[in-house]
Amino acid sequence: MQRVWTVVLSVWAMLAIVAVLAWAHRPVVSSSPQTAAQTLVVKTVNGKKQLVLVQPGALGATHATTSTSGVVR
Amino acid sequence: MTPRLERTTFRAVGTTCSAAVTAGAGDARRARAALAAARSEVAACEAALSRFDPASDLSRLNTAGGAWTAVDRRLLEALRLAFRARRETGGRFDPTVLPALLAAGYDRSFEQLVERPARTAAGWRAGATVELDEVRGLARLQRGAALDLGGIGKGYAASRALDAMEAAWPGMPGGLVDLGGDLALRGRTPESGPWRIAVADPRRAGATAGVLLLHGGGVATSGRDVRRFGPGGSLHHLIDPETGEPAVAGPLTVTVVAPDAAEAEAHATALAIAGPEEAGAHVAAHPRISALYVRQHGDPLPLGALPLARARILVRVA
Repeated sequence: MQRVWTVVLSVWAMLAIVAVLAWAHRPVVSSSPQTAAQTLVVKTVNGKKQLVLVQPGALGATHATTSTSGVVR
Repeated sequence: MTPRLERTTFRAVGTTCSAAVTAGAGDARRARAALAAARSEVAACEAALSRFDPASDLSRLNTAGGAWTAVDRRLLEALRLAFRARRETGGRFDPTVLPALLAAGYDRSFEQLVERPARTAAGWRAGATVELDEVRGLARLQRGAALDLGGIGKGYAASRALDAMEAAWPGMPGGLVDLGGDLALRGRTPESGPWRIAVADPRRAGATAGVLLLHGGGVATSGRDVRRFGPGGSLHHLIDPETGEPAVAGPLTVTVVAPDAAEAEAHATALAIAGPEEAGAHVAAHPRISALYVRQHGDPLPLGALPLARARILVRVA
């Protein structure tokens, strides 16, 4: 009976080690910031200040940036 | 729970890379598998395509002395794309410029470059040939020639990594791979709108020359704003295949949008050594691509049907 328990415990211990290693080596995952409309203060032609709500486009969050690429090294 | 963009960032191909996937509640495991597949595929592409790794398939082909060489299928495919791009660009993009690039002084990875006078490659001519046997997985390079897949290798790797993500997660809602500014993207964003890609302004650190709205395809930027070397940083890595020397004409940077990232890279390289008129004619002759041509002075010049975003005023609050 003692031998059976030893085998069972050994198997569980091995599974636990495998689980810990898998957890420790998972890919790094992060979330991107969520996008939201922006409020801007703009000055109109007659000098008055106005608040405007702007949809993210040229302004606001982007998913990635492209810039000069180098070479594969 | 609304969908989110799950992202992994890693170092590869000499630059900072990332992969991202649109994932909803309960998709964490599939998202992790897709991101891991992207990293793995980029590593495999680097092992096949890097000219700075003497053990890479490309290096073995370059040093084979004109003999048939067994190479990875990734190199075969990248070579097929590169030589097709040479035909499509009329030789303005040429993967055989390596001897000229080495003579100019770019003879080791950029971080390890030492300053020395530039030379020209004696007797070098553009247009060397390569033969591919895709059935048997063999390639043969013209004796005395050498290949540099450079940027097109990164574009190819980005596309392959995106394919690998989709293979790891069939039905993946949307994804993006960014290899130091070479982008491949497809599918839905978490917001269900287009992918918003900022084009860095080379004239002002941290500024944006424009924002692209894309539903898929590839984006690449080429230019002479970074990776300068030689006396006083007077040289750059953009070799003009006609002269064999760093090109004189061309913009500070040019960003190309194309159906595929490798195609975008090849055309970006070709446009990066072209004046504005020649660049405009090139884009007009290739309706599959569009471009943003950024000069030292003046507004960025959109070429073709470039999907540029404009900030839209939704509501005047007060």
